[in-house]
Formats: sequence, C-alpha cells, structure tokens
Amino acid sequence: MKRRGFAILLAFLVVGALLRVAVGPVAVDGGIALRLGVPSGEVLSLRGLSVLSALVVGAALGLSGLSLQTLLRNPLASPFVLGISSGAGFGVACVLVLGYLFAWGGNWVGEAFGAVTGAAVALAIVSRFGRGGDGHDPTTLVLAGVILGSIFSAGTVLAEHLVPHGLRGDLLSWMAGRLPEIPDRGILGLVAAVVVLAWLSLAARARALDVSMLSDDEARSSGVMLAGLRGNLFWTGGILAGVAVAYAGPIGFVGLVGPHLARRLLGPHHAALVPGSALAGAALLVTADAARQVIDLGSGRLPVGVLTALAGGPAFLWLLRKGAFR
Amino acid sequence: MSAAVEGLSPSRAPLLEARAVARRYGDTQALAATSLSIEVGDIVAIVGANGSGKSTLLRALAGIVHGEGVSGEVRIDGRFLVREEVARVRAFVPQRPEVAADFTAREVVALGRFARGHDAAAVERALAAVGLSHRADRPVHTLSGGERQRVAVARALCQLDGVERPILLLDEPFSGIDPGEVARIVAALRALAERGAVALSMHDPGLARAVATRALVMRAGEVVASGDAASVLEPGLLGAAYAAEMERADGWIAPVLRRPFPR
Repeated sequence: MKRRGFAILLAFLVVGALLRVAVGPVAVDGGIALRLGVPSGEVLSLRGLSVLSALVVGAALGLSGLSLQTLLRNPLASPFVLGISSGAGFGVACVLVLGYLFAWGGNWVGEAFGAVTGAAVALAIVSRFGRGGDGHDPTTLVLAGVILGSIFSAGTVLAEHLVPHGLRGDLLSWMAGRLPEIPDRGILGLVAAVVVLAWLSLAARARALDVSMLSDDEARSSGVMLAGLRGNLFWTGGILAGVAVAYAGPIGFVGLVGPHLARRLLGPHHAALVPGSALAGAALLVTADAARQVIDLGSGRLPVGVLTALAGGPAFLWLLRKGAFR
Repeated sequence: MSAAVEGLSPSRAPLLEARAVARRYGDTQALAATSLSIEVGDIVAIVGANGSGKSTLLRALAGIVHGEGVSGEVRIDGRFLVREEVARVRAFVPQRPEVAADFTAREVVALGRFARGHDAAAVERALAAVGLSHRADRPVHTLSGGERQRVAVARALCQLDGVERPILLLDEPFSGIDPGEVARIVAALRALAERGAVALSMHDPGLARAVATRALVMRAGEVVASGDAASVLEPGLLGAAYAAEMERADGWIAPVLRRPFPR
C-alpha cells in the first residue's frame, strides 16, 4: 500500500513538473500564445528553476502542516488555517516598514527573520487559545486561527499604508501568495536547506511522533519526552511556515491538504507521513503553479495562492463534510 | 500501608516505593503527602469518591505529574530512573485513553514498544490477553468504548511483555465496560501480578475485593485506610469515603438503595 501511495504522489509531482516546464508563453503577432513543447536551453533552465522553487516551497508547507497537525494532535491545523502564515506576513510587513522608516535597504534574511518571528508569535497565541481541558479543542483552535489571521492581515494592510505607493503594490500581491518569477538561486538554496534539515529532524523522531498521537499520559509513560518533542515540532512548524512565507508569501491550503493526501495514501505512521507530506505539498504547489502558468498566459501576474485557495478551499470543505476532522 | 513494608524479600528494596508524594494546585491540596510501597504479587485497589485524589496518586506513581506543586519521590527497586528507563518496567493506562490518528488496534498496541524495540510476537500476545486478536486490524475509532479501553490495556501489557518485574498502573480500567470485558482484563492483570505488581483505581467495592490483594481508601486527597483488601473494603470505611450508607449484600458491598418492590 505504501509503495503504491508513494508512486502515486511521485507521478503527481512528475506530471505537474512536466506540465510546468512544457507549457509556456510565446510571442505571436499582436499578442501572446501558449505553446506546449520542449523549450530551448535558457527557457528550460529558467522553468526548471521555477519548478524547483515551487517544489521546495510546497515541501516546506507540507512539512509545516504535518508538524502543526501532530503538535496540536488536530488534523485541522495548518499554517494558513491557524493564522500562522498571516502572522509571518505581518512580520515581513513590519520589517519592510522598519526598513523604510530607518532607511536600511532591507534584505531577504531580515524578511525571513521577521516572518519566522511573526509565525512563532501567531503559533504561540493560537496554541494557547486552543488549549482546553482535554488538549486542543478543534473549534476553538480554528476560530482563534481565523480571528488571528484577520488581525494580522489588518495589521499588514495598516503597515502597507505606512510605506509609499511604489512599494505597496508589491506587498499586496505578495500577500496573496506568489512564487518569485525569477528565483534567486542563493535564497532558494537556503530555503531548500531549511526544508532538508526539518525533514531530517522530523524523520529522526518518527516513532516518538506516532506515540505522541496517544494521550499525553500514555505518551509520557511510554517513554516519550513530550515537552522536548513538542518544542521541536513548534519550531519546525513555525520556521518552515515563516521561511516559506518570506520566500513566497502566504500560500494557502497546501499545508493542510498535503498531509491529508499523504495520510490517505500512506496511512498514519510518521515514518511514511514525513516524506509523504513533503512530496504531496510539492506536487500540489508545482501543479498549481503549472495551472497558473496556463491561466495567466505566462504573464506571472496571477498569484499562485489564488489557485491553491480555489482548489484547496473546496477540498477543505469536502474533508470537513467527510468528518475527517473529528 | 505507609509505614508497613510488606515485602516478600526483606533484603530487597520494594518494587515500587513512593515517599511523601504530594500535589497541590494553588490553595487546593489534591494529594496530601502519601507514602506506600508495592511488592511483586500485589494488586492494589485504590478506591474513593470522585475527586478524592485516586488519579493524582496513580499519575504520581506513574511519574507523569511534575512541575509546580508536586513533591515527593518514587523509586523502582530502590532506584530513581529516568523516563526512558522507567518506560521499560512501568506502564500506565489512563482513565480516558486517546488515539488522535487512524491507527488500527494492532498498531496502537505496537506503540507500546517505543522504549523497548518492536516485537511482533509481544504485540500478538498482548492482543490475545485482552481478547482482541480478532479485532486487531480494525481502526481504533471504529471500536466500542470497552474495546478501546482494552486496546489501551493491551498497549501497556505489550510495553511490559518480557519484563522481569513489571509495574502496571491503571486509572479506572473498568469504567464503562461490560462484565465479560472486566473478566478478561482481570485475568490479564492477575497473570501480570504473578511476576510484578498492579495498582488500579476503581469504584466498585465488591469488584475491588474480588480482584485486589490490598486496598487503599482515599478521601479528600488523603489515604484514610490501607491494608489487606478484605479488611479495608468494608461498609463502614467505604461509607465514610463515599459519604453514603453502604451495606453488605449477597457477599458484595453496595450502597443502600431504596427498593421499589419488596423482596
């Protein structure tokens, strides 16, 4: 079953990647058309880089979602649903505003720092609100996440109005979640390194993560150091979400649907779920980016977050109806 | 029981020994300083009204309460053990076991091997001990409440499989389960007590008398009586603990109820 599940996810990723590479805009008389085919040298390497960047961000979101779902023992958790992406976005906006006010040029590492800080703050708040007598109550958790997301989004809009017009448009479309048109290899490498480290860290704890799905008392008496494990999940989920947001803005639903897809295909064990969630997240985002390429005729003006929300929102509702969150 | 160490081998330290374990929540003393020791062969029943401190005592014995307001020490074979070591000799079944993932019964039982390494045969033995071999491949969330409770007991048995002197602690393992299931769990506990010790909280005094070798009666966070199960579990003491009139009826002990029909 597991081999088949991995094969399906891998095939999904490969098809998405091929589509993303093969479909592209060409200039024709008086406009732009889409062409399907093997692109030539430079275009191929550029599109390959775009695939890589969607793959890395998708894997980051998938692993972040899995970390949060395991941390909170709640399948509804994900960076977007819990307002953590918005928190990260607000962190980036704060860094941009500060950078403008104090006239330092600002760089990506500063934004990433802001994003991770914002994500951690949001996660700390939301997990505090969601904690009831018997662990995390799903309803409270999601409500707190939604409200927190609104607050942070409002804060981001406010921050946006503190900077001049020129910078504004950028921030707004970035808030909808978009992959960079021409990825910076260095930054992409940095994000990929974070993803690999998080992956290894989660994979090394796979068995403890399985046991942590039992009640706290059972997990502790089974020998799991729960506080350390949860601290690790908190930071893994927060840093992955923060780095993904700093790189591509808050892209919704990949972190929620990715782990669910993996669970459905691979079962509940983390030994399979860790690679599975990364793979599923990557496949979802690469495919969404290919679809965006088709829809916006390669103009790059349509944020990919719009597509993940359009596809992921209904998937979320479907899962809700199927009782997947009980 | 606090003072008397009824050890089988006086030269050896007690299997499980608690010294002045206590827990306080703010101004409330959930558990007054309690000392006790448990030996191989013991099945210790902890009885008392809801909120009398049974769960707190069991969780303290299981080493899973810590932080502010917690004091005292628990030793196993006279030694302090760190959590991973402890998990190789002592298991705990909470009042409400949870499984927040889509595991089958067999997979949950196998999680009990976390500290000791996977052992497929031990998993099957534990499932058989609670009579769940035929349900092993069912997802836990499709099982009945009583079956889930047995899965949790099996997980703990699996954790202790092959341990020379195991310690099993259970918080109300019989709540909400049918008589046949009670009988199966009792049989598994007795088998374990042949080489180790069991402590469990429960409400039914008659069942406690039938199952336990020793008993503790708790009231308002304190152990008010302890000793031989037959002598401790009697209507007077229990009546005081439960603030209800208790009587002996047909060899069983039960609260006095107004009977709608004459016998």
